[in-house]
Amino acid sequence: MKTLPAYTMRFLLYGVLAAPLLLFGLYAFSEHWFFPAFLPKDWTTAPFIRIVADAQTGKSLATSLGVAFLSSLLSLLVAFPAARTLGLQKFRGRQLAWLIFFLPMVVPPLAVGMGLNILFMRLGLAGSLFGVVLSHLVPTIPYTIFTLAGVFAGYDKNFEHQARVLGATQLRVFFNITLRLILPGLVVAGLFAFLISWSQYLLTLLIGSGQVLTLPLLLFSAISGGNPTSIAALALLFVLPPVLVIAASARYLNQHGNTVREQY
Amino acid sequence: MAHIDLISLTKTYPGRIRPVLDGFSLNIASGELVALLGPSGSGKSTLLKLITGIERPDTGDIHFDGKSVLPVAPNKRGAVLMFQKAYLFPFLSVAENIGFGLKVQGESPKTIQKEVARLLDIIGLPGVEKRKPSQLSGGEQQRIALARALIVQPHLLLLDEPLNSLDPAVRMNLQETIRRIQRELKITTILVTHDLSEAMAMADRMALLINGQVAAVDQPMRLFQQPPNEAAARFVGITTFLKGSLAHGTLRTDYGNLMVNTNGHMANSALFAIRPEHIQVQQHPGQNAIPGKVVGCMYRGEHIEYQIAASGLAIRARVPMPAAMVPHGENVFVVFPQEYLFAINEQSVRHSSTT
Repeated sequence: MKTLPAYTMRFLLYGVLAAPLLLFGLYAFSEHWFFPAFLPKDWTTAPFIRIVADAQTGKSLATSLGVAFLSSLLSLLVAFPAARTLGLQKFRGRQLAWLIFFLPMVVPPLAVGMGLNILFMRLGLAGSLFGVVLSHLVPTIPYTIFTLAGVFAGYDKNFEHQARVLGATQLRVFFNITLRLILPGLVVAGLFAFLISWSQYLLTLLIGSGQVLTLPLLLFSAISGGNPTSIAALALLFVLPPVLVIAASARYLNQHGNTVREQY
Repeated sequence: MAHIDLISLTKTYPGRIRPVLDGFSLNIASGELVALLGPSGSGKSTLLKLITGIERPDTGDIHFDGKSVLPVAPNKRGAVLMFQKAYLFPFLSVAENIGFGLKVQGESPKTIQKEVARLLDIIGLPGVEKRKPSQLSGGEQQRIALARALIVQPHLLLLDEPLNSLDPAVRMNLQETIRRIQRELKITTILVTHDLSEAMAMADRMALLINGQVAAVDQPMRLFQQPPNEAAARFVGITTFLKGSLAHGTLRTDYGNLMVNTNGHMANSALFAIRPEHIQVQQHPGQNAIPGKVVGCMYRGEHIEYQIAASGLAIRARVPMPAAMVPHGENVFVVFPQEYLFAINEQSVRHSSTT
């Protein structure tokens, strides 16, 4: 039974979370909204459309999506074997391995960024999209490893053994059994990586050398520009993809997240 | 379907000093069900991994029908497994689970469908094709796992404590089912278990695995009644061992002289054993009787279990009902009937030269 106070609490919580977005909404669809007016007087979609339709906005949106997608894919590829080993096997130096994977989360990103910048300049990766994707792996990989290691800690290799003796090749076992069993975990880990990469500002700025323009960079320059309508419109655009991704995966996890657990 | 030879298999895991398997040899006839018994950590699971090919032995060989299968990949060996947990793939339906082995071999959907229906008939669960594994009971899941293993017509069926997580009634029922199907299809089978009664009920022969070696192998009744050595005897529940010197059909022990059947056995020092249910407890002296004192008695329904101290010997006796209960602290005579005393080897397992 949900009680009235519980409902009130929920609405308060939603309100606090939604308030900044609401404010953005007001700013994005209005003009000449100045103190002390409580609400905007001139409602219009023109500035929002202008900003969204701007070539630079579209390009940076595509860049952001591409960078986030590639870096989450790459971090899944790197994290998978590491997480499988950490989650399934007991070996000497396991604690040390954990610590090393944990390091990027504790070292200040500015320090990492400066170091990477020098390294990537030498390698000729500075200013390139691929360089930016690689630099995003620094913060994304620890999260993907931790998420997947947790998945593998509850994973039972006997499923693979069973499939193998029934005649499946190793490749088939990997794709039809292993990947299928941990798919919900992969989705969650990939989602983490996507969100971390999506909101990355510092690494993109340092490694991209201004050549790779993602949405956060565009948003930041808009903030310096000081036009509240532009800021609000870009901010809304920036929030939208992660919200869509989370909504889609929440739907997916509700349907499929329990299939493995049901077995036990 | 195939006769299996396991030839002096040795396996030591990296970083360990003691081998898990230490010269393990066993021959299994075609269509035979051999139960492999042993305490935990005796190398049972490792042995199964060697047979399926998930692990490789350090030395030794595995033959199916006289041919080594060591070069053969696990998916081509035809040695299938059934674990304590069913390990049905949760994202597949029952029919897809059973048909898995045929599907990965590229059989046509029509053949698979026909075979699945046939197997469901054999295991006695027709009509559950469309269900998900999670909608079945534990016993049903194990039946499906059995069907999934059998559909590929394996050379060898490996059962790794397949019934341990089931409740007793379901367990008994499945013991009968598995044994019936195994006999009908004549599938060579290895059953790993630590349940002695399950092994005896199901197996043609039982092999006892101790310290990575076969300590004894025989038909259940013979192994239970007359185990060849002390380790095997202890495993089948024998706790009374009588040591002495042998002369003219008499075993001279510290507790008295006992008449024994020597069967040509003439060693100076000999070890005899007797099953607890063959020991008699009485209140008057007699032949092959030694005096003792009841230090424990428990009524177990079908029998009374006595613990009797007799000149430093701790004797466990099971006296079948109906019988009068001799109370705790009473002086009694323990009788070892001559026909039930048998000689056994002290040395149970050949000790490897490396230790």
